[in-house]
Amino acid sequence: MTADTAVRASGLTKVFGSGGARVVALDGVDVTFERGRFAAVMGPSGSGKSTLMHCVAGLERPTDGTVHIGGTELTGLSEQKLTAVRRDRIGFVFQAFNLLPTLSAWENITLPLDLAGKKPDQTYSDAVVDALGLRDRLHHRPAQLSGGQQQRVACARALVTRPDVVFADEPTGALDSRSSAEVLTLLRRCVDEFGATVVMVTHDPRAAERADRVVTLADGRVVA
Amino acid sequence: MLRAMLRDLRAHKGRLAMMLAAIVLGVGFMVATWVVSDSTARTAGGGAARTDVAICAQALEPESGFTPAERDRLAALPGVTRTNGVRLGYAALVAADGKLAGVWPDRAGTGWDDSQRFVLADGRAPRAGELALGEQVAAAAGLTVGDTARVILADGSSVRPVVVGLFTYRPLGAEPIPSLAFAGDESAVLLGDRFDRVELATASAADETRLALQVKSIVDGEREVRTGAELTAERERMVADNARSVREVMLVFAAVALVAGMFVIANTFTMLVAQRTRQFALLRAVGASARQVRVAVLTEAAVIGVLGSTVGAVLGVLLGIGALAAFRPEGTTVAYTVSPFGIAAGYLAGVLVTVVSAYGSARRGAAVAPVAALRTDAALPRRALLSRAIVGGVLVVGGVAAVAATSGVDLDNTGRFVSMGGAIAVWLGLVVLAPFLAMAALRPLATLVGWRGGPTAKLAVRNALRDPRRTAATASALTVGLGLVCGFAVVGESFANVAGATTRDQVPAGTTVVQPALDGSRLGPEVVTKVRATPGVAAAVALTRAPVEWAAGDRPLGTTSMSPVDPAAFERVLTMPVVEGSGDLRRGAVVLRGNADLNRLDVGDTLTLTVAPGVTRRVPIVGLYRGWEGQPGIFLDEALVPAEHRGVLEAVYAAGSGARAGLDAAFADRPDILVTDRDGLVERLVKGFELVLAVIYAMFGAALVIAVFGVVNTLALSVLERTREIGVLRALGAGRTFVRRVVRRESIVITCYGGALGLLVGIGVGAVMQHVMLLQPLWPVGVPVPMVAIGVVGMVLVGVLAAVWPARRASRADILAAVATE
Ligand SMILES: Nc1ncnc2c1ncn2[C@@H]1O[C@H](COP(=O)(O)OP(=O)(O)O)[C@@H](O)[C@H]1O
Ligand SMILES: [Mg+2]
Repeated sequence: MTADTAVRASGLTKVFGSGGARVVALDGVDVTFERGRFAAVMGPSGSGKSTLMHCVAGLERPTDGTVHIGGTELTGLSEQKLTAVRRDRIGFVFQAFNLLPTLSAWENITLPLDLAGKKPDQTYSDAVVDALGLRDRLHHRPAQLSGGQQQRVACARALVTRPDVVFADEPTGALDSRSSAEVLTLLRRCVDEFGATVVMVTHDPRAAERADRVVTLADGRVVA
Repeated sequence: MLRAMLRDLRAHKGRLAMMLAAIVLGVGFMVATWVVSDSTARTAGGGAARTDVAICAQALEPESGFTPAERDRLAALPGVTRTNGVRLGYAALVAADGKLAGVWPDRAGTGWDDSQRFVLADGRAPRAGELALGEQVAAAAGLTVGDTARVILADGSSVRPVVVGLFTYRPLGAEPIPSLAFAGDESAVLLGDRFDRVELATASAADETRLALQVKSIVDGEREVRTGAELTAERERMVADNARSVREVMLVFAAVALVAGMFVIANTFTMLVAQRTRQFALLRAVGASARQVRVAVLTEAAVIGVLGSTVGAVLGVLLGIGALAAFRPEGTTVAYTVSPFGIAAGYLAGVLVTVVSAYGSARRGAAVAPVAALRTDAALPRRALLSRAIVGGVLVVGGVAAVAATSGVDLDNTGRFVSMGGAIAVWLGLVVLAPFLAMAALRPLATLVGWRGGPTAKLAVRNALRDPRRTAATASALTVGLGLVCGFAVVGESFANVAGATTRDQVPAGTTVVQPALDGSRLGPEVVTKVRATPGVAAAVALTRAPVEWAAGDRPLGTTSMSPVDPAAFERVLTMPVVEGSGDLRRGAVVLRGNADLNRLDVGDTLTLTVAPGVTRRVPIVGLYRGWEGQPGIFLDEALVPAEHRGVLEAVYAAGSGARAGLDAAFADRPDILVTDRDGLVERLVKGFELVLAVIYAMFGAALVIAVFGVVNTLALSVLERTREIGVLRALGAGRTFVRRVVRRESIVITCYGGALGLLVGIGVGAVMQHVMLLQPLWPVGVPVPMVAIGVVGMVLVGVLAAVWPARRASRADILAAVATE
């Protein structure tokens, strides 16, 4: 694994169910995501995009194959170690239900650090907050924020731990076209301004256009 | 549609089980209560009613018994086929361990006869020098056939008969059940030759009516004549009354269980309906009417109610019978009774409670708009809190005003009523205001942990605050349970203080006290003579007590208790604290202050006392004494009361430095008599009250169990609603332990809030209760510190316990649930 590889998966296979209900969601996928790049994973519905992301992000254990994140192999890690990897090395932006409703925007942003018992790096987090234009929204609860603003908070949260990689599963799926564009710009800026590595799952070709690289899946295999 | 819903219900087994458990618990408690109360009453009432008594002539006072000659005269009446004289007298049974057996000796002894009174359970009928015992009493005293028993008689002498038989007793009417039967002839010697009653049998019913009239014409004023039928009816009434009063006490527990169960059920239905909002919306979208949805939810509730009630009824019967069998004294039989009425009541309550609790959910479920099916975050509408705030505020303010207006210690009945009513109003008001209180209490806490606390505390407190109504409702079982217990504990503490302080006021330190060993029994008249004659006793005063009708001028005051005493001895031995007027009994009566306040009496008023039938005395009140509520309402000169109407001898107080040693020696051989001193007296008073408190503390146990139930339910609901959130947390790197800890902390926050509120309310209500019951100042009250400590530990324990299962579920929540987009 070279220094500029953030994530590498090889021979990744995921099988759900057995017998008649057996579904091969991933079928020997080999893929690498480079550091500091914005990658999009595309493919038709049911092609295995989400499953790939879950396996790579340590949310789901693959049936076969290996996953490395920033030099750490995930396969075989204990539940606790996996949790720590997610907390310290991975950022997430989900489609919806991203934020904890009882915490303010700022508390949501610093939650991963809080969980790790770390203090936020003030200059870095200030930079992230300012870059995402959240300065005057920090003490609002998620319910008081628009969908686009919520996704911005989610992006800030994903960046604040300086993770090896940020995964985003259909981040624009629940947004109107203006907010979608805004979130895509945001992810783009995460890569350009903060040097983050972003892997975004989407089935929206316009979203994929903003990425540096597109990985296309079909029937659990990488086709491009 | 119904089929779809039932299938759906089966899919949510966990919640269904919880709801069923709540119903089963409530109904089970109720049915068990019925079984226990009916069976105990039936058992205490003896076997089947007697059929061998046509007419019974009964002495109304122990002194007015029938002589053998009178019995013979009744026996000689034409038409009488059988005559049976029944003696009842003092007989104190000494248990195998040398202590007094736990039966009140006053009318425990009787003479054996071959009427239907006795049913031999073991051995044979007693002859001279022998004894038959009631089987329960024998078991409790550790005596059996073949043992030699010691029995102390009215004059203080003892006999040592051999136990030859055990019996069960079939009482006539409401008579107290005797438990020591001597041979018939011997009983005349041991218990006195007078008969308490004479039972007559006749050959035919026609004779019965005629004979009743004849007997009535012979028998004079202090006796009454009843027919066998009347007495049987009376006994049935008594058995039913007993069952009812036992049941009423126990049903309180069952009601608490049902009410708490109602909360669990309502909560569960809310959960089920919330989960199915989209399903309902879909149904509505494809054409189901709101009514159909409502009916479907209610039908579902009824099905669950019937199911739970059936299991509950079966379990209740088993529980009741099991409890009776487990607590049955060894070697006795219980008349197990399962009344269909109890089972019907249980069913009705179970189904009703379920349907009523489901009604709100059904309405809300039916109110779901069809468009909700199209939204991903379909939510249910919430009710406004304004009316709640107004009602609660009015109750609290009104209640506080009522208590404040009656804060003086000179309360009459209206004052007591207003004060207690005020306290209850405040309590109800606080229950109504609970959601606001929860916010008021938890918001500052949330701010605090927001600054200083870690992420666990922060999330836990904020989660508890999310739905203050739910938090408050969840905490309510604890609030009520702990409040009740705390209130009574305050009263208990106050009682101990008052009883201790007044006893120390009234009884000088060196006084020796002679009392019956069993509370509520009486001393024989020979005890006074014996005390006076004991070396070392300088002076002794006998305290008797008798009920007396009293009036102030023309104003009748009902009945109070009087204690006629020898003024000289009284002054010499006791130091009654007189708070107003003088204590000179030679010039008039001294009245208990609370009693005077209650009846708006004062020093100088003249009382009209009916001290004996037909004997009235006009006595001025010369003073008021400070005492507690259980003490005689009036002290007066014994010269005013005919000797045979001075009442029950409750205690003899003796002064003199050598009195204790002398009396200890004099009564060493009398386990039915207790010789003690001032401290012993206080201890006895407090212990008697503690027994009452113990029952109330048992409620704390019940409240705890129910509280756990409620908290588990709410937490489970919350965890369910927050599956996605928990998924997000887990994805962001929160471990299972963290998630578990958040749920546990939330649980502890809720229970501590409920408990703290309960403690505060309990202390407040307790302060009012002791004010009303003991006529003490409202404040300061003694706070029962051990009780509070147990309460606090209990709260945390409940919190931790209740969180176990929901926390585990939360920690197992699927991370992908947060990420999935459906
Ligand atoms: N938990 C699961 N159990 C069974 N099958 C699953 C599960 N998750 C996904 N699948 C199946 O795996 C395939 C890939 O799914 P997914 O990765 O969600 O596709 P995409 O995100 O590209 O739409 C689909 O056929 C889906 O039905
Ligand atoms: Mg997908």
